[in-house]
Amino acid sequence: MIAIGAIILGSLMLLDKFAFGEFGISQPIMAGTLLGMVFGDIPSGILVGAGLQLIFLGGLPIGRDIPPDGPAAGIIACSVFFIARPGSSTGQSLALALLLALIASIVGGALEIMARRFNDRLFKNYKQHPACVTRNHLLGLLTAFIRNVCTIAPFLLIASLVPIPEQFPSLSPEHFIIIGIGIGSAHALYLFSKRATFPYIVIGGLCGLALLVL
Amino acid sequence: MRLGIARTVRLTFASFFIQTSWSFSSLQTLGFVFNLLSGARREHQQELQSIYPKIFNTHPYMASYIIGAILRTHDENSLTPDRIDRFILIAQTSFATAGDLLFWQTIRPALLLCAVILGLKIGIAGPVAAFIAYNILHLYHRIHGLCDGYEKGADVIYVLRSRRFTLVQRVFEFLGAFATGGLIALATTDFHALLIVPLCLIFVGLLFKRIASVIIIIIAIIITLAIVVI
Repeated sequence: MIAIGAIILGSLMLLDKFAFGEFGISQPIMAGTLLGMVFGDIPSGILVGAGLQLIFLGGLPIGRDIPPDGPAAGIIACSVFFIARPGSSTGQSLALALLLALIASIVGGALEIMARRFNDRLFKNYKQHPACVTRNHLLGLLTAFIRNVCTIAPFLLIASLVPIPEQFPSLSPEHFIIIGIGIGSAHALYLFSKRATFPYIVIGGLCGLALLVL
Repeated sequence: MRLGIARTVRLTFASFFIQTSWSFSSLQTLGFVFNLLSGARREHQQELQSIYPKIFNTHPYMASYIIGAILRTHDENSLTPDRIDRFILIAQTSFATAGDLLFWQTIRPALLLCAVILGLKIGIAGPVAAFIAYNILHLYHRIHGLCDGYEKGADVIYVLRSRRFTLVQRVFEFLGAFATGGLIALATTDFHALLIVPLCLIFVGLLFKRIASVIIIIIAIIITLAIVVI
């Protein structure tokens, strides 16, 4: 029941990725915070969302390029973590959440390409019946929602139906964040490292170090 | 000449659906026509439907500038269809480049980095503040873009030189750079944190070599598996 609720909520949140609004609610850190609220554990939601956000910081939807689905990965990671945690340790559910989310991002990207190919039919319909603009255009919401359900449902059902074996490896929150910082700082350096911004990176690093030590 | 509150509200709401039916062959065309029709006067609706089956694609937040300008030209009958086509062709590329650079490559990653750092350090206030700031900025472009487009017509393209683009981009570049350095605050003080250095170097190398993002994620999966097993 929890999994079905999470699938519907996640699929609705994922509409924000491109089908409706693009308000940023589907970004992993925002989705993690929101799912943390729903599941009653905001700090854990922020932790999982933050790690995934750093990994997918650089997924830029520029032009026709469709990068791996970071928003879907964030929603899946948080939901899997909260669904799997009652039956296993925090470390095991975190490891499972991260692995499933990374796989889901690739699956999500492929399904998005399929959904957008399906949308070609809506455009063809519009060309044949120019008066039906609104119907053909808004049917895209349904395509996007079905694609979201197809991306999220298998992973959440696996997490809720298949118990994690005892010997399943574990990932501590510290290691999880270290993976996130490693990949996230690479993305951030790629985006923000220029000659003009270099002093700000150094100042930020010094402030970060001070915060870490204190 | 002003757009009017009712039309602005209708067009702003329609702009949330600009990419709903995005497809590889039509890109945002259907969304563009849908937006124009939601703001067009009744006597122009038929005409708009027949004029715009061409391909349209731009940054989703920046489409408002072009839609506002097109509605103005129709309300005034000020441009010939040929000149409107030429304007759309130039404007969609220019606004797409500006929007990608401003939002996808600067504002969004900078605010998300801040949300991550503040979220992990102080809690829910961090993501909420970043969410509010991001939405103020893109809603400003969506709403103000419509009004500017309608007010300036085809000259709206010159707003790309304005401070709302150049200054904001510079400020968020500096914020993003500061937050990049600040990521170190999230590490731990034990020796496992040293793992950040090789991880960062591997992925910086992959990104600068422009390796496909799917391969980068596969490498991330392999590294995660290695860390989990070890």
